[in-house]
Amino acid sequence: MTTFFQVTLADFRESVRAKWFLMYSLVFGGAIVLLFVLGVTESRVMGFTGLSRLLITYIQLCVAILPIMILISTVRSVVGDRESNILEYFLSMPISLAAYFWGKVFSRFFLIFIPITLAMAGAIGWGAVKGLEVSWQVTGYYALLLGTLSWCFLGIGMFISTLVKKQEWGLGLSILIWLVFLLFIDVILIGLMLQQRIMESVIVGVALLNPVMVFRTGAVLLFDPELTSMGPASYVILDTLGYRGVMAYTIFYPMFLGWLFSCLGYFRFRKGDLV
Amino acid sequence: MIEITGLKKTFGKTRVLDDITLTVNRGDRIALIGPNGAGKTTLIRSILGQYVFDGELTIFEKNPRRHREEILNRVGYVPQLPPPIQMSVGELVHFSAAVSSSSNSEAIGRQAEKLGLDIDANRGKSFQKLSGGMKQKLLIALALAGQPDILIMDEPAANLDPQARQTFFLQLLQSMKDTTMLLSSHRVDEISNLVNRIIEMDYGRVVQDEIIDESRLGETMLSCLIRLTDLPAAAKNMLDEWDFSRCDDELEFEGRFLGTERLRFLTSVSHFANHIQKLRIQ
Repeated sequence: MTTFFQVTLADFRESVRAKWFLMYSLVFGGAIVLLFVLGVTESRVMGFTGLSRLLITYIQLCVAILPIMILISTVRSVVGDRESNILEYFLSMPISLAAYFWGKVFSRFFLIFIPITLAMAGAIGWGAVKGLEVSWQVTGYYALLLGTLSWCFLGIGMFISTLVKKQEWGLGLSILIWLVFLLFIDVILIGLMLQQRIMESVIVGVALLNPVMVFRTGAVLLFDPELTSMGPASYVILDTLGYRGVMAYTIFYPMFLGWLFSCLGYFRFRKGDLV
Repeated sequence: MIEITGLKKTFGKTRVLDDITLTVNRGDRIALIGPNGAGKTTLIRSILGQYVFDGELTIFEKNPRRHREEILNRVGYVPQLPPPIQMSVGELVHFSAAVSSSSNSEAIGRQAEKLGLDIDANRGKSFQKLSGGMKQKLLIALALAGQPDILIMDEPAANLDPQARQTFFLQLLQSMKDTTMLLSSHRVDEISNLVNRIIEMDYGRVVQDEIIDESRLGETMLSCLIRLTDLPAAAKNMLDEWDFSRCDDELEFEGRFLGTERLRFLTSVSHFANHIQKLRIQ
């Protein structure tokens, strides 16, 4: 446990000094500031205004950029250490492979989650100062959604990081995976699949398996409970699972996916050559 | 201490270690030599449990992959190139001491001080910002602090200035008498005084495994006579450094050196192999 804690702390410290973390924090902190500056809290969408409106816009932004930011920053984790010989040196110390791998995973999770949570907390704090009403239901659900999405893509990123031999391949693969996820959201390829009269169960299955689609559904669900702004696959999912079912699915599925890929990454890391 | 039987390692279609069988006993101080690509680093990494391989490899009768923490608590390792760690010196010292049950910050500080590195004065500095020599001193101090049973070093003195190199070698000789050492180097002369066994690798195989008989020749003064075909200035300088004197013949020199120095002498002489007509050591 001590070793796990030491690795987590060491990786946290190393990453906080890294340029990617500075950029990552600036993007998500800057997004909130920008939304305030643009007066998003003053506008109204489907009955939502004030802080809830800002958080909805923020979460929509996160749908687009959070997965790729997480993938790009995480995918270099193990393979980057391997290329720079840091892995060779640290693994010559009496550190268990589990402590090394999971220490890195948890450190990265906090690193990813802290800036987006702080940005949300900052928005709520600033909103409170300005006298805006805070919707704790929206805030709580979105915090959970962001947490599970971060965990999901962190797991995928760590898995890729153990899979590839070079950072460039990892980055390429991350972008490819992100594009595939983006293409298979409701309004793009799924619409095309419907036109091609592909079986409904296949379409819904693809939509349910795509974490970006699931995150997007969760993001829209609170202000559009009928999912009218989404595509046809979402209606079927809502009909099948119900409102609370969809809500639970958007939380638990990414969490499961995150654990699945983290574990696959760990087994892959443990099984092969370490350096 | 280390038992290797039929060790094979392949990367893609390239066999890097080819059926290596080796026994390393307690107190062995081994110079692992060979050209680039001979398989030295792969062998070291296999011993450290960083590679999967075919064949048998045990350290303290245990598998280095399955019992890595237990084994690595008793192993010190100094890499050839300092890794680009972002941590500060203080953080690295604390980290190394915290993950190892045999080391502590005070012992690291003492070892570093002996090598001429003041940890306290550099505590807040980033490891990355240290000079090459300072980084190497710190890595050596981290490896030695736990009084390891096995010390593995890849080109250990490559980044050290001559004074630090002498101190380092002296420290190794004095404080690590019972430690088994595996020193990888391109230059055998640099570590010849430290070792009692030389293992030469080439194309992934052990091509020479020689035990140096310290007890017989270590303390003996050897006489040497060397006759050259001609006398380049560099050869003359080398012979002067070894305190050789000219005989009646202008191209013939004689001198004496300690038995433990013979490998270093032969390496020095080998640079002028084309000019040697006769060489006799008694």
